[in-house]
Amino acid sequence: MLAELINPYYLQVLSFILINIILGISIYITLSTGQLSLGHAGFMGIGAYTSAIVTINYDLPLIVGILLGAIVAGLTGILIGLPTLRLQGVYLAIATLGFGEVVRVLFINWEGMTQGAVGISSIPHIGRELVTGLRDTGFTADMIGIRSNQLISVLVFLILLVVTILLISFFVRQHRSRVGRAFAAIKMDESAAEAMGINITYYKVLAFAQGALVAGFAGALYAHITAYISPSDFSYHRAVEILIFAVFGGSEVIAGPIFGAIFLTSMPELLRDVSEYRYMIYGVILVAMMAFRPQGLIDYNMIHKLKRLRKKKDQKTIDEKESKRHDIGS
Amino acid sequence: MGNVFKGLLAVIAVFTLALMSACGGNSETSGEQSDGSGDGTVDVKVGVISWLTGAGAGYGEAITNGFELANTEIKEEGKVNIELITEDSAGKQEQALSSAQKLMNSENVSMILGPTLSTEMKVVAPEADLNGVPIMGTSTTASGIPQIGDYVFRNSIPESLAIPAAVSSAVEKYDAKKVAILYGNDDVFTKSGYDTMKKVAEEQGLEVLTTETFQKGQADYNAQLTKIKDTKPDLILCSALYNEGAVIMDQARKMGIDVPFVGGNGFNSPEVIKIAGDAANGLIVATPWFGGSEDEKVQTFVDKYKEEYGNEPDQFAAQAYDALYILADAIERAGSDDRDAIRDALAETEGFEGVLGEMSFDEEGDIVMEPTVLTIKDGKFQPFE
Repeated sequence: MLAELINPYYLQVLSFILINIILGISIYITLSTGQLSLGHAGFMGIGAYTSAIVTINYDLPLIVGILLGAIVAGLTGILIGLPTLRLQGVYLAIATLGFGEVVRVLFINWEGMTQGAVGISSIPHIGRELVTGLRDTGFTADMIGIRSNQLISVLVFLILLVVTILLISFFVRQHRSRVGRAFAAIKMDESAAEAMGINITYYKVLAFAQGALVAGFAGALYAHITAYISPSDFSYHRAVEILIFAVFGGSEVIAGPIFGAIFLTSMPELLRDVSEYRYMIYGVILVAMMAFRPQGLIDYNMIHKLKRLRKKKDQKTIDEKESKRHDIGS
Repeated sequence: MGNVFKGLLAVIAVFTLALMSACGGNSETSGEQSDGSGDGTVDVKVGVISWLTGAGAGYGEAITNGFELANTEIKEEGKVNIELITEDSAGKQEQALSSAQKLMNSENVSMILGPTLSTEMKVVAPEADLNGVPIMGTSTTASGIPQIGDYVFRNSIPESLAIPAAVSSAVEKYDAKKVAILYGNDDVFTKSGYDTMKKVAEEQGLEVLTTETFQKGQADYNAQLTKIKDTKPDLILCSALYNEGAVIMDQARKMGIDVPFVGGNGFNSPEVIKIAGDAANGLIVATPWFGGSEDEKVQTFVDKYKEEYGNEPDQFAAQAYDALYILADAIERAGSDDRDAIRDALAETEGFEGVLGEMSFDEEGDIVMEPTVLTIKDGKFQPFE
């Protein structure tokens, strides 16, 4: 029964969706202070390579590798964030784009460490390592009646799901905190925010570093799920792809990039039946979106409307109850 | 905001459930094995992963054309009935992995052919090997691929076989002692070609005068070529894909470098002649596929392919064509669509006669065959003597 319900194909697609959600969040944080970054592919690559290298060369446990990857990416974020603070808008985008390319070229040329353009293969896989670990403790997939590749997919998916939910809840809470308010103020008007006593340097670098950290984290997870990385995975195309999650879904609220990641990752899979046309349809959807909703699909207005709708409904039920009570009373 | 968060969770949950339940209907258990013993034919589902949309769609098209042509012929013979299920990977590792999972788990294929790129293969092959699904690459030439596992094969000759053949023929003919190497360092294919060139040069005792690099899409190679010209090499070993390679040859000839170029498999394309014209003369490559061969089998294949698709088959089409024949042969010997039986039969393939020549698999699942060394002379590819 269970064996028939679990299909690694769907879990695989869901896992990539979850990784892309994490990437979407990473760009959302940077965008929430009004900084447009095209360097997220670079941060992702730093996370992926760091984790792959330390787990292969130094035999560190996966979890240490992944956290280390995220931290190294975060630190690089601080280093890049500080000097580029003066830049805004397009200029920042160009500088970060340059950073992304530098990282990629570094991966290509630092052959002793990264094996150049050939890439690093046989990186420990999260699911496969876990299943081997479980086998040592005496637990196998047969015991719950599924095949081991199903168990692997389920484990990977569950780990990613938990991690993603934790990340989302953290940033939703941050958005409502002092830090989130400061981010929003800076996005609206930097000078006004500074006049209100907000330490702009601190918060902008914080947002940039948080974005880099999360992107590095996603990169490390990516490396341990595909088990192979090469410099071309972290090229300019990836940076644009990440940015599109936020542009498509909307960058005002965190639900935007999350929706963007879900929609844009599942679309090519759902359109598999129309094979050659799928990327055409994908393109048409993107163009239509930009024409009709340039601010992204989900924005403040939409959330407000939804809330108002719900409130009205609540109000209605309260009114009805009230009137009923009156009826009874009279 | 709390509501938004809750709503989001709900969306994720619903999405998960929808996908999970969707798979319930799709997955048929692989328990039922048809060996269709009634009329002696074996029915087999074979999955194909190919690059069909995007920049490299041309490769994917040639490959799938090769498969389809072979499949129609195999069906006519009537011994094996192969159903090809083709999925697009768009040249991306994630998509290749997802489509492999779909083929293995939703479609329950007995075997996978493809994917197109070595980078995709490195992600897909470990998964297929783990699931016990035989997988054969028809265009993946980077080193280390059949070594991934017992279920991983390829019938495309690796650079480590093609380049030594080309280099040793050239060295013999021109009595070369000093070489210069030029390669693209940001591409898996050209980089692993360079690694082979370096090794071959060492083994054959050639003196490497200089090693220069370039990047994908570069337009001006004068800096590298000037350096190479100054060192006066007997041969230039150039690991490049045809689009960059042709431009390099053009600029080299204009600069007055007239020594022969030795290239890898990626340099081997009629496009080189189209782009570089007369400058392409003197390119030496080793290839599994020579469409101008007198061999009857090759000529029938070329004619049939031209009739069906309107253009000459390239090496990708030829490799795909042969791959399906090798597979059909293995299935016939295995006599069922069982994955393990097909794997064992494939591994035993020996001395198979295809349009590429005589092919066998070594114990790792890598192809063993003699590549043909070709050179461009008078504006067309000719056997190198």
